[in-house]
Amino acid sequence: MSAGAATHATVITVEDPAEVAVGAEFVLTVLVSCPAGCDLSGIPIEVMAPPDNATATVPAPCPPPHAGEGREGGAVARRVALKAPLRAGEHVWHLSCAAHKSSGWHHDASLLRVPVRVRPHETSLAVWAIPSPVVTSRPFAIKVGAKSAAGCDLTGMPIAVRDAAGTMLAGGVLGDTPWPGTSSLYWTELTLIAPAEAGMFSWSVELAAADLALPHQGSSSRFSIAIVDPPEHKLTIKVVAQGTASPVENAQVRLGAYRATTDGSGLAELMVPKGPYDLNVWKSGYDAPTAAIVIDADLAVEIAIALIPDENPDAVWQM
Amino acid sequence: MGKNATDRGAASGEVSRRAFLSTGAAGVALAAGRTREANAQSGSQRNWDRSAEVVVIGAGVAGLPAAITARDHGASVIVVDENYDIGGRGILSGGRVHLGGGHALQQKAGITARDHGASVIVVDENYDIGGRGILSGGRVHLGGGHALQQQASIKDSADQVFADWTRHDTADARYSDRDLVRVFADENVPTFNFLVENGVKFNERPIGPERASTVPRTFVTVEWPIASQLIAPGRGRNGSGLVRQLEIAARQKGAEILLAHEMKSIIREQGRSGKVLGITASHDGRMINIEARKGVIIATGGHTGNVNFRRTFDPRLTEEYQQACMPYVHQGADGELAAMEIGGSLWATANQTAEAGSAITKTRHIGCRWGYATLVYQPESPMFHLAKATGLTVADWQDVIFVNQAGRRFWNEADGSYKFFAAAMAYSGDPGKLNGGGPIWAIFDADAAAREKWNPKPPHVDPDGFFFSADTVSELAGKIRNPYQKQPISGAVLQETVNRYNGFVAAGVDQDFKKPTPMYKIETPPFFAAWSTPILHDTLTGLRTTPNAEVVDIHGEVIPGLYCAGESQGGFAQHGLARCLVFGRVAGRHAAKRSA
Repeated sequence: MSAGAATHATVITVEDPAEVAVGAEFVLTVLVSCPAGCDLSGIPIEVMAPPDNATATVPAPCPPPHAGEGREGGAVARRVALKAPLRAGEHVWHLSCAAHKSSGWHHDASLLRVPVRVRPHETSLAVWAIPSPVVTSRPFAIKVGAKSAAGCDLTGMPIAVRDAAGTMLAGGVLGDTPWPGTSSLYWTELTLIAPAEAGMFSWSVELAAADLALPHQGSSSRFSIAIVDPPEHKLTIKVVAQGTASPVENAQVRLGAYRATTDGSGLAELMVPKGPYDLNVWKSGYDAPTAAIVIDADLAVEIAIALIPDENPDAVWQM
Repeated sequence: MGKNATDRGAASGEVSRRAFLSTGAAGVALAAGRTREANAQSGSQRNWDRSAEVVVIGAGVAGLPAAITARDHGASVIVVDENYDIGGRGILSGGRVHLGGGHALQQKAGITARDHGASVIVVDENYDIGGRGILSGGRVHLGGGHALQQQASIKDSADQVFADWTRHDTADARYSDRDLVRVFADENVPTFNFLVENGVKFNERPIGPERASTVPRTFVTVEWPIASQLIAPGRGRNGSGLVRQLEIAARQKGAEILLAHEMKSIIREQGRSGKVLGITASHDGRMINIEARKGVIIATGGHTGNVNFRRTFDPRLTEEYQQACMPYVHQGADGELAAMEIGGSLWATANQTAEAGSAITKTRHIGCRWGYATLVYQPESPMFHLAKATGLTVADWQDVIFVNQAGRRFWNEADGSYKFFAAAMAYSGDPGKLNGGGPIWAIFDADAAAREKWNPKPPHVDPDGFFFSADTVSELAGKIRNPYQKQPISGAVLQETVNRYNGFVAAGVDQDFKKPTPMYKIETPPFFAAWSTPILHDTLTGLRTTPNAEVVDIHGEVIPGLYCAGESQGGFAQHGLARCLVFGRVAGRHAAKRSA
């Protein structure tokens, strides 16, 4: 602006505020300047909060800059602490400066509209203690927990379990005590009925967005469950060390969806329906081939697993 | 300066010796120019601060036997080492802090140097020789029919050693320089006897056959009995009994060991021609010249920790891959670079990428920065305040899944072969990071921690960038923050990765990567992410030498008076201590016998 103009402009600038979460405190950095270079550091700025912001509905004075706050291009940065509304969406703050006289010049009034996007808190889910496998048509229980990104109390929030078609299979509400070992995972146990047909199923759990003290986004997660026919026969597996034939304890035995762990005698038992299976044995440090077996009666098998020498040439302390 | 970024060691935030060297000198090219300028002064005009017949750079598994052997042949010897101790024994607070070593971590530790008067000089900037030797398992792979083999009724001979380590059917031996292997084989028994004569104690139980060997040849040294002189106490780092005893022998025989002396350059008569005259080293912020009237022996321990250098052989090995034995010892390629600046050449570089040895290893201790297979820094270690965590020792890889920097599984977690490493280092889809695969994270749940009996809290884990926990998998993804993790992991992606894997567990089959019988779901809160990025270990190539360990230049000519032994020597890639000991002796002997 030329020095010969009758008045000078007042320019209000803010740093683009990042998206903020509902109810979150945030800081707006405000610059007030005159294009002709006049010193406007003492000029008051008013901050008008969004009309529905219960936390700050009256105009607040923008404080003069503190010592040490930086000048940027002749303007002085002022930092204003604000609090986001409790409702998600776009909210508009207004910053205004009345007409005034500074450095001997008249400066125009100025108004800046500052839209800020306010988002609800995110949530996330965990599903655990899912029995595997589950026999057809039998009842079973799972645990479901939900977490607010802000650590909010989610007591009473509704949880639903749905199948792949979206049909609700079970519902409940979160309890009032976080799961042990977590900071704020609110959880509940839900009872479900297994499908009448065997197979692998992928179901989802959902947390509906709800009106807590602060708005939260809903979330969903899926989990897999193996459904099997009722058992008919007993499979007894003995796991021994190759070469010595000594029993191997704590070997994991897998027969498709079925699993067991060997005891001190190297024995594990599984109750399974008829059919062909791949029998796998796993123990860290051992190697065992997959055995193809067919179950059509009670069966006992012995599996020899081979110790794999540690390939690490430095591994003396493990010996 | 950009040079610092590329030359920096595997660990960010610490100044490697090479970066230190580069600062203000615009890197290797200028440093070489400076060397040439310095060399323009003839040897007779140079002011030598110290002088010995043989100068050894590095006080470790190659440097100490080199020093002892040179003394045995009547030469005066100086050993220089950049570190505060050959093996970590001298932690003295408030003394002269090592500023020139380029080892910022050591400086931060307040570790100071000791000086010892003697007539033979070994120069060691610390970091390598005594260093990795003292951290090693102490397995000495020497055969040929020595006394302990005979005692165990193992039939062996020098010819059998040669036959084994030139085998065509194993990549451990296929790319060896057979001239070097012949010397190695012939020197096995003399080297074993040398160790015994110098007081090294062995356990009598043979181990093996290992790698290319067809008979048991590995014997383990007895761990050094003084706990306060160990760097990694409590985990059988038996190499301490080797290097501590060799240090005693070297000092008793009159080798002078200058600690906290960092070799900066090797001085040759005329830049890239003429004989080698000595070295420059920095100490206490001051440069000194050390004359070597007969020879300089490079025993600096390899290049694994130098990101720029190691990528010569494998461009995938970017900065996220940490170096085993850090933070105690840094393999900075110092000897290689100093030799190359005066014309030295590399040799048998195929060994580095033959995918046979332990150049790249799977972490065994997760949730800490340096989780090398057998090396654990316990809280009582003098290095613990730098290592910051012991790590969680994995007994069963069924207890975790690995995800890459994008949050996706990439391989069967139970595998530890080079196929696993290749998958871990594969392009993960980040256009901002084409080389290297980025960090690898082990993801597990509360049930896995219970099965493994882990207590996932400090001092077992390092929550400052290498271990995270959260109430849900999605939340966990958002918490993973690490200097090498360039983009945050998407919560939805990690959740889907875990959900899919859990489905495989329920079904009993890993449809993606054929993990054998995936055993455990990752489902019970809380959830954990632990640093599990492959860690680099052996240097398997280096300077070209003659069978007498004389360094050879780029034209195939011997550089008179320059030797190399240990992991900085190319041509023979056997893992471990034996080749360092053998060629340390060979170099020390040949240098001592040279006419001044």
